[in-house]
Amino acid sequence: MRFALARAALVRHRPRTILATLGVAVAAAMLLDMVMMSTGMRESFRELLLSRGFQIRLAPKGTLPFDTDATIDSVSSVIAALRENPDLTTISPVLGASINVRVGNRAITSASLGVNPRVQGDYELLTGRDPLASNEIAVNEDFQRATRARFGDTIEVSIGYDPQTRSVTQTRKFVVTGRVRFLYGAANQPATAMQLATLQQMSGLARSDDASLFMIRVRDGANVESARAWIERRIPTVGVISIETAMAQVDERLSYFRQLALILGSVSLFVGFLLVTTLMTVSVNERIGEIAVMRAIGVARWHVVQQIVLEGIAISLAGAIAGLGLGLVTAKYLNAILSSFPGLPMAIDFFLFQPRAVWTALGLLAVSGMAAGVYPAWRAASLPVATTLRQEAIA
Amino acid sequence: MTRPIVLGSASSGAESAPSDSGLVTARDLARDYLMGKERVHALRGVNLDIATNDFVAIVGPSGCGKSTLLNLIGAIDRPTTGSVAISGRNVAGLPDREATRFRLLNIGFVFQRFYLMPTLSALENVELPMAEAGIDRAERTSRARELLSYVGLGPRERHRPTELSGGEQQRVAIARALANRPLLLLADEPTGELDAHTGAEIIELFGKLNVDGTTIIVVTHDEELAQSARRRVHMRDGRIVDG
Amino acid sequence: MVAQSFALAFLLFAQHRTIAIDDKLAADLRIRIGDRVVVSARPGGAGDTVIVSGILARVADPSEVAYSQYRIRMHLDQLQHIDGYDDRVARFAVATRGEDGTERTLSSINAAAFGFEAHRSRDIAVETSRTFQVVSRFHRAIGVITIVASAIFLLCIMLLKVEERRRDVAALRMIGISRTTVAKSVVTEAAALALLGSALGVGLGWLMSLTINWHYRGVYRTSLYFSIVTPSIIAFAVALSIVLGIGAGVLASMRLVRTPPLALFGR
Repeated sequence: MRFALARAALVRHRPRTILATLGVAVAAAMLLDMVMMSTGMRESFRELLLSRGFQIRLAPKGTLPFDTDATIDSVSSVIAALRENPDLTTISPVLGASINVRVGNRAITSASLGVNPRVQGDYELLTGRDPLASNEIAVNEDFQRATRARFGDTIEVSIGYDPQTRSVTQTRKFVVTGRVRFLYGAANQPATAMQLATLQQMSGLARSDDASLFMIRVRDGANVESARAWIERRIPTVGVISIETAMAQVDERLSYFRQLALILGSVSLFVGFLLVTTLMTVSVNERIGEIAVMRAIGVARWHVVQQIVLEGIAISLAGAIAGLGLGLVTAKYLNAILSSFPGLPMAIDFFLFQPRAVWTALGLLAVSGMAAGVYPAWRAASLPVATTLRQEAIA
Repeated sequence: MTRPIVLGSASSGAESAPSDSGLVTARDLARDYLMGKERVHALRGVNLDIATNDFVAIVGPSGCGKSTLLNLIGAIDRPTTGSVAISGRNVAGLPDREATRFRLLNIGFVFQRFYLMPTLSALENVELPMAEAGIDRAERTSRARELLSYVGLGPRERHRPTELSGGEQQRVAIARALANRPLLLLADEPTGELDAHTGAEIIELFGKLNVDGTTIIVVTHDEELAQSARRRVHMRDGRIVDG
Repeated sequence: MVAQSFALAFLLFAQHRTIAIDDKLAADLRIRIGDRVVVSARPGGAGDTVIVSGILARVADPSEVAYSQYRIRMHLDQLQHIDGYDDRVARFAVATRGEDGTERTLSSINAAAFGFEAHRSRDIAVETSRTFQVVSRFHRAIGVITIVASAIFLLCIMLLKVEERRRDVAALRMIGISRTTVAKSVVTEAAALALLGSALGVGLGWLMSLTINWHYRGVYRTSLYFSIVTPSIIAFAVALSIVLGIGAGVLASMRLVRTPPLALFGR
């Protein structure tokens, strides 16, 4: 009967109920977006870092991978040192450089990664095959679009310029063997991958044994933090970054968004609560007479409160469910804006849909809906019955 | 002998005369209100006994304390001093929860303005007290139908209060008041909002209820209703002056 | 003795080149002017001993605010030597005379350039401020969503307020007060509430702006402004809230005055 009464009360004032539900839906959408944003970046970044199973990264000391042009020298001795630890199962050195490709009268600049294709963790092969020979190169879609290079084509790639002779240096011919998607690549950025040794040679003597980054996979069951500490002691000239350290750095750089998410989420929840409270207060004030009669005929105070609280919960839940759809749409829109951050890997999402986020938002709204109805309901149900009936009769 | 559907006590419907057993006993009842800074003595030491199966009309000028007395008997208000016992139980000092429960199971209220739930149908309005008492749906629907039939509104069970006339609404209110087989039916100006013809129908219904074994106390200005009661209690200035 | 000290100092300076470091580095590592440090291209590698001759205040550069890297300034040839850069630089900065001079310089450099390109400084600034353009777009989107939400809330609240007073309005209409008068009073009330609300909102926004600047300046150790409340922003916010408030009042009053008085009484 309480459900019937609650439903009837909501249906009785349809425009008001619809408007309140819409208001809660907007608040719910915002709340959901903020919950998604507060955890999305972190989780998205973590997923990206772990996508190939590499738990540790080595970068030049004091920098993050590819933050600067600095490199780690003596790749071979670093690898030899790392191999002393049996817990380190896979070691993938990567060198980054900028290359130029002549297309007609233009020179297209592209990023390039020198990798060991058998252990690399930087790209996903979409079609074709890895660049296994020293004259082979794999490219991404942006590169293909810019250079019109197709599979099997031979392209001329240079690294340096000689301004005196006005010519490019370190030019080599490569055969395009595959199309790849770079996991850490930014949007609209042409990029290629070739053998590490090739890129080292092209980069000149100073970089002939350099790497920008090492990615390391730790044996299943081994302690990642222990491995990290071991590397730090063994090779003190490099920065050792575990997933946790990387996450901490990301947290620091993106702290603004998490704080914004917390503030906007709290405001949304509060405004939704305020809306439902106002609605319930007005609704209850209109029905003081009915409530007094219910009490007069023997309906317990708590049951009266329950019925009114049910109305608040119904509006909140209906609004939350509607807000879910709206929230996903606005999240997509906001994500598209933030994903255009220059240099941000395409694979990073600021708004990551996680069921836990949905339950959190729904739960918070249900609780706030419940809380919103309790006070006005309790107040109305506690009014002296006889006095209230008399006042309502006069009114 | 068939048990009347409206009786709350164990006595059968064949006994239409008041029994010797006291159902309501009020002693030295007083009720004061604070109106702004002024203290108003709505009731001043009222003593009243009402027997089972009685039909009592409380009459008097406006402001004499009739409705206040009814509210105290019905345990929806508390006396400043004095006691009210219904079926031997002192209801004056009951905590709110117990008083509410007592009302639900033992007292039926009929108001001048009907006070039906506008969002429920006639049937649902009658079911409301039974739902609160925990009676299962099938049983309460069946009894609600029976009660609506008794008051002559069987075919109108699905209608909302706004679709019913004043007289019909009051009949539904009476059926609701009888839902949990109360010991006592209290009515505050039940014909106050009705025209003469409709009021007469309600008066007739009350008569029928009393014949079938319901103890009724009405507060009224309606002379015809007062005359239809077995007993009249006159009040003035918060006191019973006659009856 | 004094002369000897001067001579020693001169000798020291003559032997070692000098660098300037930023105040963050100086504070974090407790380095003072006159201290000797070793700079090298590789950690732990052989490098040059230099003397800290100056401490620089960080420029409030928005593009570097989130980065915790230190900055030092050293002589170009020394850096080229340490880093193995030979006779190369990352960029040149060129000052020109007037707009025509800039135009001519750009053209002549780009005509002769090989392997590099000349740009106007403001074009570079636009390019490097893309991060903030993204943040601005994001803020604007949040602002639009907030405005839409506020409009709905406002309409809902006005509707509730108006419904609370149905009976009063019904009584007024019955004694002959016109619909227009009723509607005007509702709209006036809505406008007054909107004005009061926007005044409170401006005050709150200003306080929050102060808090935001205080907080993030501390976090990022910068003198940048993260939030600014300008007269145009205030004017826009107040105008928008009044428009929304009046709009909500109009819609709510329309609903009220269209209902016949008896219906307002519930009959």
